[in-house]
Amino acid sequence: MTRLVRAELAKLRTTRLVYGVAGAMAAFAVLAVTANVTAAGTQGNAPLSADHLPALAATPVTLLAGAALLLGILGMAGEFRHQTVTQTFLVTPDRGRVVAAKLVVYSLSGVALAVVTLAVATALAAGWLTAKGMTPSLVDADLGRVAAGALLAAGLCALLGVGVGALVRNQVAALVSALVWAVVVEGLLVNLLNAPSLGKWLPSAAVAALTNPGGANLSRSGGGLLVAVYALAFALAGTRFVVRRDIT
Amino acid sequence: MPVITIEGLTKRFGDVVAVDDLSFEVDQGTVVGFLGPNGAGKTTTLRTLLGLVAPTAGSASIDGRPYRELTDPIRHVGAVLEASSYHPGRTARNHLLVVATAAGLPPQRADQVLAQVGLADAARRRVGGFSLGMRQRLGLATALLGDPAVLVLDEPANGLDPEGIHWLRGFLRHLADQGHTVLVSSHVLAEVAQTVDQVVIIARGRLVTQSTLAALTARTGQLVRVRTPQAAALRRLLATHGTQAELAEADQLTVAGTTTEVVGQAAAAAGIVIYEMTTEHSNLEEVFLELTKQGGGS
Repeated sequence: MTRLVRAELAKLRTTRLVYGVAGAMAAFAVLAVTANVTAAGTQGNAPLSADHLPALAATPVTLLAGAALLLGILGMAGEFRHQTVTQTFLVTPDRGRVVAAKLVVYSLSGVALAVVTLAVATALAAGWLTAKGMTPSLVDADLGRVAAGALLAAGLCALLGVGVGALVRNQVAALVSALVWAVVVEGLLVNLLNAPSLGKWLPSAAVAALTNPGGANLSRSGGGLLVAVYALAFALAGTRFVVRRDIT
Repeated sequence: MPVITIEGLTKRFGDVVAVDDLSFEVDQGTVVGFLGPNGAGKTTTLRTLLGLVAPTAGSASIDGRPYRELTDPIRHVGAVLEASSYHPGRTARNHLLVVATAAGLPPQRADQVLAQVGLADAARRRVGGFSLGMRQRLGLATALLGDPAVLVLDEPANGLDPEGIHWLRGFLRHLADQGHTVLVSSHVLAEVAQTVDQVVIIARGRLVTQSTLAALTARTGQLVRVRTPQAAALRRLLATHGTQAELAEADQLTVAGTTTEVVGQAAAAAGIVIYEMTTEHSNLEEVFLELTKQGGGS
């Protein structure tokens, strides 16, 4: 199993995908923090203060779960797209172990992606606040909660992505399904039916609860638990599917 | 002792029967050509042998065990299945390192096999920029990574230019000389005729014949071409010996199922003048076409 995890890490390291996603998230973090800092104190926004650090650090987190999901989907479905899955299963015919190694590596990659994103956002926000003469504290319970939520969300969403990629196997179809689900089904349909009590149990809402609890959402721990259930269900279903399919 | 055993193998994809009750064996140290027209079921058979496709009925085994039950299978069997199964953004060396890592092989093996197939100079280039010939070589390098005794190659000559095919032939010969067992599929007999000891011919998923290449050649028979001013007389004479001759031109006969010695002696005994006599082997490719047509004829 160690071998397989190392092989999956080697696969991830030797293509540009993970660097691209991490780079994009870092860039988005810079953008999101900058926009929020410059908008503070104008048009009815609250002026900046030192205790804004957790809120500023959390600004790029909205996209983080999606990016982690994308990473997981592309990591798994990419094996089918490039037909590398043939070679992978020739080396390791025990397909369940291959998918298990992928689940481990991609959930860790999702966590790493969250670390990069939060580090960029926190450093920039702290720097900006300090430059404005404030003294933000990095040892902060709220900041800790933001970080914990983001890390967990990204890790679980990457896991979910591997499961979706294994089930759908076509990269484009998998990405489009995920997008349609989040935007159309959970976004429009739940609003249209005016059923927030039902909507909060769906995956995107659960992820939102984990990263941004309150409102119609579940509590952070409730959301986290629900995301974990979804991720594990998809991971198990995807694994079962890949184990049984003919690789032609 | 058979290294590869295919026994009563059947594979159905929906309504399509890709492989139909196929059985054959490949003995240790032999190079076997696995032949048949496109769509005959070669790839499905090989993928079933390699544990990628689950058989509907029957079995396929290597060293008496299904591929999926072998421990570290790429140390037993090297396979080249298709030239396109690489991530285009990964370099050749990194592709091999990934496989080596998963198989628990030392990283030096990557450089060794790259040198073996003549790709050492391209080791750090992305596979996306590789020609088809280079991809096939990288496929062979991957297959050789675990230093396996058995090689399974699916249409390795597909899309190669003449130089590439020449290189491939030499490489297969080299592997055979080292005592490897090789099962190599092709839809063109000529591609492998110079390399293989035996052929397994299938059509529409069924076995047509398994024989040595020599036996297949003998089966094609040979033609004796005779140039003589007394063609009609010689024809009558051969007919009395029970040999059918055909008048190809006014002064030329083609005689099947005989030898130059027999014709020469008969002609001399009857005082018939012969200007020229040659033996022609009928084309192996034609026999192959004939056989595969028959095989699908039910």
